[in-house]
Parts: sequence; structure tokens; C-alpha cells
Amino acid sequence: MLFLHVFCDKIGVKWGGCVLKTNEFIRTNAKILVIEDDSSISELICMNLEAAGYKIVAIMDGAAAEAFLRDPEHEEIALALVDVMLPGKDGFALMEDLQKEEIPVIYLTAKDDVVSKVHGLKAGAEDYIVKPFEVLELLVRMEKVLKRTGRGRAKIQVRDVVIDLLEHSVTKGGEKVSLKPMEYELLVTLAGSKNVAFSREELLNRIWGCDYMGETRTVDVHIGQLRKKLDFHDVIRTISKTGYRLEDLD
Amino acid sequence: MKLWKKLSMVTVTILSAATLASGAAVIYRSMEYNQRKTIESSERQLKSIAYAIGKDLESGLLQGYSGVTRNSYINFVIKKYGASEYILIEDDQVVCNLTPFELTNPEDERWGGAEICSIIQSRGEQYILISGKKVPVVGKVEYKLVLVQDISELYGDIRKQVYFSLTFILGASVISVVLIFLLTKRIMRPLRELQKAAKEISEGNLTRRANVRTKDEIGAMAEAFNSMAGRIEAQVTELSQVSERRRQMLGSLTHELKTPMTSIIGYSDTLRNVNLKKEQQERALWHIYKECRRLERLSSKLMSLMGLYDNDSICMEEVSMKELFEQVVSLEEYNLKQKGIRLESFCTMGSRQIDRDLFESLLVNLIDNGIKASSEGTVIFLTGQDNRITVRDQGCGIPADEIKRVTEAFYMVDKARSRKAGGCGLGLALCSMIAELHEAKLVIESEVGKGTNVSIIF
Repeated sequence: MLFLHVFCDKIGVKWGGCVLKTNEFIRTNAKILVIEDDSSISELICMNLEAAGYKIVAIMDGAAAEAFLRDPEHEEIALALVDVMLPGKDGFALMEDLQKEEIPVIYLTAKDDVVSKVHGLKAGAEDYIVKPFEVLELLVRMEKVLKRTGRGRAKIQVRDVVIDLLEHSVTKGGEKVSLKPMEYELLVTLAGSKNVAFSREELLNRIWGCDYMGETRTVDVHIGQLRKKLDFHDVIRTISKTGYRLEDLD
Repeated sequence: MKLWKKLSMVTVTILSAATLASGAAVIYRSMEYNQRKTIESSERQLKSIAYAIGKDLESGLLQGYSGVTRNSYINFVIKKYGASEYILIEDDQVVCNLTPFELTNPEDERWGGAEICSIIQSRGEQYILISGKKVPVVGKVEYKLVLVQDISELYGDIRKQVYFSLTFILGASVISVVLIFLLTKRIMRPLRELQKAAKEISEGNLTRRANVRTKDEIGAMAEAFNSMAGRIEAQVTELSQVSERRRQMLGSLTHELKTPMTSIIGYSDTLRNVNLKKEQQERALWHIYKECRRLERLSSKLMSLMGLYDNDSICMEEVSMKELFEQVVSLEEYNLKQKGIRLESFCTMGSRQIDRDLFESLLVNLIDNGIKASSEGTVIFLTGQDNRITVRDQGCGIPADEIKRVTEAFYMVDKARSRKAGGCGLGLALCSMIAELHEAKLVIESEVGKGTNVSIIF
């Protein structure tokens, strides 16, 4: 059984290799700009991004967003989540200012017609997410865009564990921890969207690849390994009926 | 076969038959008449000649003459009266025949009657009239005089007449056939136009009308057809407008539903999957509750709007406007007090045929809008005069370019503000719908910063 898993890990390296490309261009502390006019949706996004470990600037209307982007002193923005139907100036019209600032854009809108999607993507958006959306989907897509545009985080810290995404190394209290490739991928996935629960299937798909014919037990085994190696027994929690969640609230 | 062709054929056939029959009858009659005339004149001639010859033969001169002399005398007498047309018979023996014919039956009694007997005999192309009579002579010798006339000419004339008539009738028929065809076609032209119009309409060109100006039945039919087409066009236009309005409303509705849905799904999903701080959890729950309430408000407004589309639920009755105003004022009392706004009501209208509940909700909606737009200390006026009810506020007003759109379902001038005040963009859509049901117009005048004036004009 154990042999099988080691074997799988070896195959997994191949798959996992393309999940994490080296980030040449990394800004730390860069924030996510959320432009959304509906206060409760805005708060929803912020709540989730914060929990996942992002820092946020939330703006409620188009005109204010424009003013913010044109202010040369504005905070550094890694990614913008933009609603299309905005008071003041609509999301498509904001694209120009966003591109000037070299900020990748994900549209987040209730407009689900193909014309709007094509328009948004052609105008230069990195992605287009239709409301209502799943939190996990939003986080995953954001992560993809950040990585693609070279804005992924360089380091993720969970308590005394630091994951160096550039060097693919993990240290706990300054001491290097040796992880197998699949264990590392699993840790990065969970820590990348902190506080968000992943189902076993989700993890299997994302780390081992969707054509991996393994069982969800594989995930359990790797989680067990991570818990043991990092002393994360209370950090990686089993959520009944869902899966696993790496909990770390500030 | 086309109707105009059928009509023309029938007309032509009947006409030709009638012309031929009447032509034949006329020719037959005229032939008969000519024949009779000819016979009559021959008979008259025979009668007088017979008398004259009788007189000459009677004179007794013949008694003493020899046979030869007698014959030449008779010849002389006959020649004197009619040359080559007579045959004289004496005791059944032809005694003088100057005609080119030979009488085969001189003994025949017909030639010896006191009255003239005529027969017509045809010999090939030749027609011969033979008339015979007893010559009135006193004496024992009996003379018969026979008149032989060639009347072929008469028959030749008749034949010519038949030929002429036939050509004439044929010519007239050809001309009338052409004329009938042309005229029938022309008469039928409006029918063709009508058919074309009907076809085009059935193909979807609803603005098409039959261009028929005739004053006959076809004209009347075209008129009826056009009024039918007009009616259909109006109804189809109305239907498509209604469906377009519904489509737009449905589009807005989906969007309006999606926003709270996004929040509810998002927050519940977050609560399920994300490790949140205690106060964040409470915020999430509060958002879910708030968005559910928003959905509930939206659905109840929608229900009333849908209710208005099915007109059966409307119950018109005579309502005193004064009482209605008082009712509305008392309904709004609490809201007004909360925001510190005064409501001045004034009514000189009598009673009107309205649906009490709907009209009440119309006025309440308008005053609610006024309250939402107004700030503390201002006054809202509710006046009813003549055929006009006006709600005037001193609130923030509506920008001029948005006035036209405010009665659209889900249209909100200031979305954020409207949401905060609990609006969902259906109030004025409802109001204009109710006004429409009362055959009244909703007129909105507004100036930014000064206030809004909404009038219901009957």
C-alpha cells in the first residue's frame, strides 16, 4: 500500500511540475482590488479573500475606482476583481485605466450572455466569472491568474511554517522539513487558500490530476503525513462530509 | 380554371348561342315572308291573266277556226300576256307551252281548281314555283292556266343572307369574346389584388392593405378585409409589445434575482467551507437574512405586478376620493412621523370609478417614493382637483434624462440609495400599471434638488 503511494508520488511529480512554475516577477504585499457596487457581495468577496490570506482594497463604484487608479500614490494592486454593471463608470470602461496600471482583471458579473463574456475577454480581461459563483472557484481562478501573470506569492506562512514557493522548500521554526513532492503540492494547495475547505476529490483532481485513477484514501494518507511532519494536527482539520481545511486565522 | 376565365367562357357561350338562335329565327322568318310574298304576287298575276285570257278565249272566235289557227291564236294570246311563263291546258291536253319546262301531269286536278294552287319544285340548284288555275270560260271546253316561275333567285338571296349573317355573328362573337375577356379580367382585378394582399399578410407583412377602390361587392369585401387586417395588426403589435415588455422585465428580474442569490449562495457556501471568525460568521448570517428579505419583498411586489397583468382581479367601484385620501394619509402617518416629514392633503374631487385597493396602493407608493426622496422637515402635498391627482415633494428630484425610464420595471436612479431604502425598482412600474388600468396617465415632472411632481391624469 505504502509502495503504491510512493509510486504515485513519483508519477505525480510530472503532473505537479506544471502546477507551480517559477515566478520570475513577484510582488509581495500587493493587494486585491475589489470593485463591486453591491455591499453584501463586496463584503462576501472580501471576507473570503481575507480568510484565504489576501489583502484587499474594496471600492463600491466606477467613478471612485477610476479616481483610485489615476491616483499615482495608490497602493500596489496584484489583481482586480471587477463587476461590470457599476454606477458611475462600468467595468468595461475601467479596463483602460486598469491596463495602464498593468493590473490583471477578472470580471465578476451577473451578465452571463456570450456577447458580454467575449467583450470582456477581448478587452483584455484574464478571466470572466459569472455570479453566483463558488468561493473556491473564485480563489482558484484568482490563483491561476496571479501565477500566469507572475504575481503569485513568494512565501506563504502558516504559524511557524514558512513555504517558499520559489525554492519549493518548507521550513518549520527555521528548520527545513523534507516533504515528498505530492505532500508539498498538497500543503501549497491548502495553504494557498487558507481557511477554505477542499473536498478529497477536489484535492485529488488538482494535485494528482484528473486522470489519476487513485482513491480518495490517497489524500487521507498524504494529509496524515503532512500533519505528522509539520505537527499540523490541529491546523489541518478534517471537515465532516467535506474534506480538509488548513485553518489559520490572524 | 381562373374565375374570370370561367365567367368569360360562360358569357361567351350563352351569348353566341343566343345570337345564333335569334339570327336563325330572323333569317327563317324573312325567308318565309319573301316566299309568301313571291307566291302571292304570282297568284295575283295568274288570277288576273287567267281572267284576261278567259275573256279572250270566250269571245267565241275559236269556234270556227282550224286547229292550227286556233293554236297560233292561243299562242298569240298567251304571248300577249306573259310570254314564256304560261302553260295553257285544254281538256287535260297542253295546248300551249312557251316555258322551257314540260308539264308532266297536265291532267292533275290541282291545276284546275277555282282557287289557285301553288307548289314549289326544286331541280338541283333551281327552284320553280308552279301555280295553276282554271280559266273562267263559259263553254264546254275546260281550260287550265299554269304559271311557271323560276324563283331560284329568292333562294339565292336567302343563302346569301345566311352567309352574311353567319359571318356577321362570327365577327361579332370574336370581338365580344375579346371584350368580355378583357372586361371580366378587369372586373376581377380587385379580387386578385385582394388575394395578393391576403397572401402577403399571411406571409407576415402585416402592414399590407388591399388597394381596392371599387364601389361593388368586391370593394365592400376589401374594406372588410382591410379592417380585419388592421385589427389583426393592432393586436399583433400589442401582443409583441407586451411580450417585449415581459422579456425586458424578465431580463431585469433575472439580474435582480441574481444579486441577492449571489450573496445568499456565497455566504452560505462560505459558512460551510471557510473557517471564519465569530463576528464574520455573524455578518454572513446577517447578510443571508437581509438578502432573503430582499427576495421576499421582490417576490411580493412581483406578485402584485403579475396580478395586474391578469385583469380579472380588478374590481371597479364608485369611491369617494376624499375618503380615499383620508385613508392614505392615515396609512402613511407612521412613515411620515419616522422621517419627520409633513403631508398636506387637499381634495375637491367627487367620487370616481376606481379599484379601491389598487388606487390606494398607487397613492401609497407615490407618497412612499416622496418620503424616500425627502429630507426631514419638508412637506409632501397630495392634491386632487378636477381630473388630476398630484403628489408633490421637495426631495432630491430625478435627473431629466432618467425621468422617462423610471417607470420601467427594475429601473433605479440611484441603485445604492434605493437598495438602502428597501426599494427594488418596481414601485413606479406598478404605479404606471395601475394608472393604465384606470385609463389614467402617470406624468412625472422633476427638477434635481427642488423636488418631484407626480400626477395621475384621468
